[in-house]
Amino acid sequence: MQPAGRRDVVDLALQGGAAAAGEAASRSKALARLQFGDAAFRHLTRAAAFGVLVILGGVMVALVLGSLPALRQFGFGFLTSQRWNPVTENFGALAPIYGTLVTSAIAMLIAVPIGILIAVFLTELCPQWLRRPVGIAIELLAGIPSIIYGIWGLFIFAPFLQETVQPFLISVFGEVPVLSSLFAGPPYGIGMLTAGLILAIMVLPFITSISRDVFEAVPPVLKEAAYGVGCTTWEVVRHVVLPYTRVGVIGGVMLGLGRALGETMAVTFVIGNAHKVSASLLAPGTTISSAIANEFTEAVGDLYTSSLIALGLILFVITFIVLAAARYMLLRINRRIG
Amino acid sequence: MNKLYAARRRKNSVTMALSLAATLLGLGWLVLILGVLLYEGFSGLSLRVFTEMTPPPGAAGGLLNAIMGSLVLTGLAVLIGTPIGILAGTYMAEYGRHDRLTSVVRFVNDILLSAPSIVIGLFIYEVMVYPMGHFSGWAGAVALAVIVVPVVVRTTEDMLTLVPDSLREAAASIGLPRSLMITRIAYRAAKAGMVTGVLLAVARISGETAPLLFTALNNQFWNSNLNAPMSSLPVVIFQFALSPYKDWQALAWTGALIITFAVLALSIVARTLTASRKQP
Amino acid sequence: MNLATATTTVPAVAHAPIDTAGLTERISIRGLNFYYGDHRALKDITLPLYASQVTAFIGPSGCGKSTLLRILNRMYDLYPNQRAEGHVTLDGEDILSPKQDVNLLRARIGMVFQKPTPFPMSIYENIAFGIRLYEKLSRHELDERVESALRRAALWDEVKDKLGANGLSLSGGQQQRLCIARTVAVRPEVILFDEPCSALDPISTAKIEELIDALKAEYTIVIVTHNMQQAARVSDFTAFMYLGELIEFDTTSKMFTAPGDRRTQDYITGRFG
Repeated sequence: MQPAGRRDVVDLALQGGAAAAGEAASRSKALARLQFGDAAFRHLTRAAAFGVLVILGGVMVALVLGSLPALRQFGFGFLTSQRWNPVTENFGALAPIYGTLVTSAIAMLIAVPIGILIAVFLTELCPQWLRRPVGIAIELLAGIPSIIYGIWGLFIFAPFLQETVQPFLISVFGEVPVLSSLFAGPPYGIGMLTAGLILAIMVLPFITSISRDVFEAVPPVLKEAAYGVGCTTWEVVRHVVLPYTRVGVIGGVMLGLGRALGETMAVTFVIGNAHKVSASLLAPGTTISSAIANEFTEAVGDLYTSSLIALGLILFVITFIVLAAARYMLLRINRRIG
Repeated sequence: MNKLYAARRRKNSVTMALSLAATLLGLGWLVLILGVLLYEGFSGLSLRVFTEMTPPPGAAGGLLNAIMGSLVLTGLAVLIGTPIGILAGTYMAEYGRHDRLTSVVRFVNDILLSAPSIVIGLFIYEVMVYPMGHFSGWAGAVALAVIVVPVVVRTTEDMLTLVPDSLREAAASIGLPRSLMITRIAYRAAKAGMVTGVLLAVARISGETAPLLFTALNNQFWNSNLNAPMSSLPVVIFQFALSPYKDWQALAWTGALIITFAVLALSIVARTLTASRKQP
Repeated sequence: MNLATATTTVPAVAHAPIDTAGLTERISIRGLNFYYGDHRALKDITLPLYASQVTAFIGPSGCGKSTLLRILNRMYDLYPNQRAEGHVTLDGEDILSPKQDVNLLRARIGMVFQKPTPFPMSIYENIAFGIRLYEKLSRHELDERVESALRRAALWDEVKDKLGANGLSLSGGQQQRLCIARTVAVRPEVILFDEPCSALDPISTAKIEELIDALKAEYTIVIVTHNMQQAARVSDFTAFMYLGELIEFDTTSKMFTAPGDRRTQDYITGRFG
């Protein structure tokens, strides 16, 4: 079956075309050597992929086990009590949960409109050559370590708020019903409002970069059609871009929210670390993450430690839900855009 | 001009002006933060910062042990986290591109990518510090590694997915087994992007404080023993900034300056790497 | 299932008897079906591929000619939900058998692709890479093998002074010849060309065609092309496919002068496709 007859007519320099009988054998030998490595590598990658699952599983198991003593002791009341007394070993998570939700809400209230407006600027208004540098600059905001926001917030931003913004808020809203309680009390500088504002700056780049990405993915024909009937830029954004990308933008917002909820260092510097629920945004408070950061190494007694870990578990569950929702929405927009 | 149209135009101008203002605000913050950092941190910057240990309050000193600690912790974390991340990303992009495990891992990885880092610290405290009975450099490094893994998984998967199938087919066509096709051809084609992923991971962890607070803790002096508590720049900044001592606060600012510019430099290098790759 | 017992007559497709005297049937395709998921892309293909001959697959796009080519080295194995049924043998050995080692198979059946696909490494490494995989050679022997492969691909004179340069730095036509050299270096018995010139200029195309002509003495060559002139120029046998079916198989001279099927005639004269 071999075309052996052809061999001798071939130029010697071109020798060695068709496989000799021995060659296949030596090849399969070489291949057998490789085969073990091939299978090993495959299994190694698979194991590493499982490793990622193990990490998440490990985090959950460790948190649940660690918080069992506290949850056994306090039961469901742990969620609804705002006591936090290391001396009598009586702990409740209400104040940190409240602080976490309030600071994150302030952050989102400010960062969402600004973040989206920046994305609109970057995709619709900004001259082409300026888009990349401005985009990178905004994303650099996300790259600055959170501890820098913390030190900056404590030494620069908080004193500034204390001297100017907060007295102004107190005098303006002092007489208005409802709002007066939001802005009651002396201007400490640090407190929930300050923490919320710092968080707003921190999550801004997340919202901007995801919004920009989904805005850019809007098919040009859709926009052109709207411009074609005489829409202004804003009308195109409002009636074409935003509806089309709504799911994606919400996903980006949720991602930012996940960030704000779990942010530790920046908040720890400026929150004031007071375990109480107060209506005033100017009052010091605490958040889950800053309570853990401030108290964990100094916590004595198993119940104290366990209560802090239980706080961590609550934080993890909240962020898990928010992030899962964010991913689900981003997945949907990606499917739509293809 | 039509009245309605004029109103629409006005509305448009207002919102566009707002978007410009928002952008300027964002850029303004960046400038403000960097400006203050430069102003406050630069005055304390001297050779001493890099040659002397962290001082007791009231004495002169530097940040040598903190800088060394950060380098060691970051280096170890990358050494531990990168291989796991690359292998997992490889499975997702090469072997299991369409299987169920991959979609589950992708979802879980995305959660880990944005999970609060303080929770990672608690996790490592539970599995390492508590059983071992003491804080240690190892625990800090592992905590940071847990943060490295999802970043590297994500970029590895993304970059390998960008490698065209034609290259894989070409590799297969000369009889290359799958593992060699991946390690010799696909990795090489995706190199720039994968390196970017590692750089971004380094940038991410070199500023991380929360997961180190109760794993590596802190140490007034330099030690090379990874079983003992180890200091790191972010934790020292945290401790010094919140202290009442002026010279500690000054050192905190200097440390903040060093860390920020290191991190920003890393992320800019990482970005240019991928940018040059996308050009052709 | 045993292929030794399968009859080795020429396939049951409309054509005048081919004079097969002196020809060796290297690859036999019998009753081959191929599926992308539920879609049946190839229908009962039966076809011989002769040693030291160039066989061209022609047909309008989507007719399954590339699919057929990619079955011969099991390239479809890389993707899920694709499967082949039927018999394809290389020297009597079942290619489609799950026991067949695909890497070994692909070392015996090389492939050159539509777009040049140099590996992201130096010119020298592009070629040495595949050789080192299966053989332990001294530096000197390896150099010789690389040179001989590059010579055979008519590329040596153009690159001998820059073997360390990145393979991607070459022009498109040179890249394609580099890929041919890379394929040849592994010493295959069969070479599959999947529209190798569709991304090249006319001069590069002419060079590749000359090369195919020079290579056919030693290899069994199969080429997929959408260019009928090319099929006429380089091939000895031509298979015309349409909508997943093999319409006609014959010697190229017969096919282009007196096709047996109306559809072949229409396609060759440019009436559809």
